[in-house]
Amino acid sequence: MSEKVHAFRCMTCGLVSYPKHAVCPKCRGETFEPTEIAGEGAVLTYTDVYALAVDYETRYLRLAIVELDGGMRVTGQLLDEHPKIGTRVRTVVGVVREPAGKPIYGLQFVPA
Amino acid sequence: MRPVYVIGAGMTRFGRSEWPLVDLAAAASLAALHHADLGKIPVNAVVVANMGAGRINRQTAIASALVDRLSLWPAAAEAVENGPASGASAVKVGYQAIASGMADVVLVTGVEMMRAVDGLEATDFVASLSHPEAEYIYGVTLPSLAGLFARLFMERYGVERRHLALVAIKNHDNAMKNPYAHIHQPVTMEGILTSPEAVVNNPPVAEPLHMFDCCPVSDGAAALVLASQDIAAKLGAPRVLVAGIGQATDTHAVHERQDPTDLKAVRLASAAAFDRAGLKPSDIDVAELHDAFTILEIAESEAAGFFKVGQAHKAVERGETKLTGKLPINPSGGLKAKGHPVGATGVAQLVELAWQLRGEAGERQIAKAKTAYACNFGGFGNNVVATVLRKEER
Ligand SMILES: [Zn+2]
Repeated sequence: MSEKVHAFRCMTCGLVSYPKHAVCPKCRGETFEPTEIAGEGAVLTYTDVYALAVDYETRYLRLAIVELDGGMRVTGQLLDEHPKIGTRVRTVVGVVREPAGKPIYGLQFVPA
Repeated sequence: MRPVYVIGAGMTRFGRSEWPLVDLAAAASLAALHHADLGKIPVNAVVVANMGAGRINRQTAIASALVDRLSLWPAAAEAVENGPASGASAVKVGYQAIASGMADVVLVTGVEMMRAVDGLEATDFVASLSHPEAEYIYGVTLPSLAGLFARLFMERYGVERRHLALVAIKNHDNAMKNPYAHIHQPVTMEGILTSPEAVVNNPPVAEPLHMFDCCPVSDGAAALVLASQDIAAKLGAPRVLVAGIGQATDTHAVHERQDPTDLKAVRLASAAAFDRAGLKPSDIDVAELHDAFTILEIAESEAAGFFKVGQAHKAVERGETKLTGKLPINPSGGLKAKGHPVGATGVAQLVELAWQLRGEAGERQIAKAKTAYACNFGGFGNNVVATVLRKEER
């Protein structure tokens, strides 16, 4: 399992989109190159979710949608004691889920 | 296209079923078939709406099973799985079969048995509709998508928790008048928001949403009998016309939408349904919206065109969406209190509206209702089916 999270840059028009599409939503191009998601942005919205499904032992998870500088948005786990809309954060990659002891890496956000 | 009529509607009480899946589906189907009173007229096709039988009930090909249970051979049969919009999607499939001339009579039955598994498994089963790599792996569940949406929507439009509570109170009140509702429990502003006990009574589920902002996990089934004009006329049934159906999709990952508070698929599906029906939102007498979370009733009522964006919570506050208001929303109690057996929901919304248009909705009857609208919201808004019904005068 990769410890990097990738967005996809359209080789035709340059649009970076995430998650993956087989066809570019802007120009309908079909060739892409992966580009690592890393950087800073601002919290667009967040929630503390107590209605958890399988694979988690914690009481709640703090999830957020972050708008990265450049405009692309990502969903991930927010590691911030004092969450607020608009807070500046940066992305890190960590274990976001561990089904049957197998770690899955994904995006987490820490105060910038 | 040939006009299509709803000539029968029935459902089981939502809640916890003592019956196996196919018995539950059969009970709703028989209620609708008895309501339609077909006599010797054959059912040409059966469409079953269901999301999770293969996973949570370990039974597949349930449309064939239902035909067998009802001895409706050699009727055509198929199941439609379209997430929480399965119900209205199945109605659309039945509608198309009649409109195209392939069938004259179609039974559409929605069924879900979610309480066959524990709460964690039920939540995970629904969460599996989210984007596998961009959402699900982070622990995203439907309540969390609703929480993310609610925080942004409330911040942008000045919606407060008390507005959400008003939706819950209204829908619980309406459900008190609906013998088919899962939850028969009146709630008050004190009980769920303003008293010290509210903190215990109404714990957070996905902040800012609390327990009384979320629908329960339900078992249940609902069914409609659809027919061509010739058959409807022959039976002398009340003329409830399927006036227009619209459907639209949106991005799978919520974060990828240009404005995540804009329920674009609701907007587009509704506009298409109204256009086909030749009606405007202001022509509608009664609506059933997909309030899996209270915030969605508010947001959908704007996206469907009943209120301007950012204004619906004020209409709720003025009582306009109560049974006695200008536009009663969710007279059945909605998903919030009637319950939400996912595959059955879209069919059950139209069962309620067919009863309303026929004047058969009992204590919750909206006087002189002639036009009705339903929004069946699939995924977290990435697949929406809107339906407009209209009663024709004979
Ligand atoms: Zn492109």
